[in-house]
Amino acid sequence: MTNFLSLTGDERDVIAGEYVLGTLDQHSSEQVEAAMARDPNWAAAVAAWEARLGGLVDLAPPEAPPPQLWTEVEAALWPPPAAPARKPSRFWQSWAIGASLAAAALAGLAVMPRQTAPQMQAVLVADANQPAFMAQVDAAGGLQLAAATSAGGVRPNAAEGRSLQLWGLPPGATTPRSLGVLPRDAGIFHVASGQLHAVPDMLILISQEPEGGSPTGLPTGPVVFYGRLVAVPQPGHW
Amino acid sequence: MSEPDLNTLLSRVAQGERDALRAVYVRQSTRLFGVAMAILRDRSAAADVVQTSFVRIWQRAAQFDVARGDAAGWLGGIVRHAALDAIRRRGREIPTDDPNLGDGEYAADALTRLETAEDNARLRACLEQLEGRNREGILLAFVHGLSHPQIADRLGEPLGTVKSWIRRGLLSLRACMA
Repeated sequence: MTNFLSLTGDERDVIAGEYVLGTLDQHSSEQVEAAMARDPNWAAAVAAWEARLGGLVDLAPPEAPPPQLWTEVEAALWPPPAAPARKPSRFWQSWAIGASLAAAALAGLAVMPRQTAPQMQAVLVADANQPAFMAQVDAAGGLQLAAATSAGGVRPNAAEGRSLQLWGLPPGATTPRSLGVLPRDAGIFHVASGQLHAVPDMLILISQEPEGGSPTGLPTGPVVFYGRLVAVPQPGHW
Repeated sequence: MSEPDLNTLLSRVAQGERDALRAVYVRQSTRLFGVAMAILRDRSAAADVVQTSFVRIWQRAAQFDVARGDAAGWLGGIVRHAALDAIRRRGREIPTDDPNLGDGEYAADALTRLETAEDNARLRACLEQLEGRNREGILLAFVHGLSHPQIADRLGEPLGTVKSWIRRGLLSLRACMA
């Protein structure tokens, strides 16, 4: 067995090159890593090969990773604490900002017949900030979702062979919870209070999923509409 | 305002900024997943490797030398070595009869893609000076993680011949790029 630390010059450089090339077996590459940790000449030889050959890495054709991979990276690095204390990521926050701007712009717009005054509501918009759905939380804590165009109007539908799925993301939560798959062309969609657990600032999201809903329990497709629940001033308060 | 470059993002990752790691992921994950896929040819195994790699990026960002600078190369190296570790653990049982590997067409396309960056123009010119099969052996090893016996099998040459070709090829590249 050659002791790699005793190698010098071209002998060392060729092994370092083979290490970077990836052709050494597991035992030899571990020996190189041990030598790199102990001998700066080894570390420099490997670094020089990485610099020479590194550009070859871009010969690999790019390919999109699975959509949930970032969530898995986060879960590996920062396991959720037992108590819900996490700030939502910027990813969610940016939606919330857009959605609240739209909600402000549409304040006072009545689009849905109501039996009781809503306690909270959210205007769900697409990226262009075009209101698409109005979500209202009634006094019983249930949620009614209707197209924002007109009461009981034609609803934006999922693409052929896909379904729209409704999600809730309370502040502090890191993953949204399914509130149900929207039936195609139905009028008003209702979510029971026991399933909704509405709180102010909760994000309401609609993602496009495989027909019948997400197979993973988390959004797998693009979020197509989103909005944030805000308290509606009650008439008695003014 | 232009977006922060990768070097800046990595120095922010080194300071523990989670959003910076996410920004690196958003910008690089498609490229890096491709690097892992070229070696593993299995989406689930490649996803494991990219996940492991981002944990290492988070832990080792402080070791990245901003002054020396090639952030994309540093990220690519982490993913490539993680993928190589993964196939070594699996005894390199990756099928190598993939007709897309090492074909003339692949090699030509690959070399064209090398042309885009200034640094790579040099590497490309030096690779082109190598004898064809020697060059192919080096690309199969680096990009697709093939071992010496797998390369020998693919090129239909004795193992010893392939080993010495590759060593000679590495020394020629070193001399050419000096």
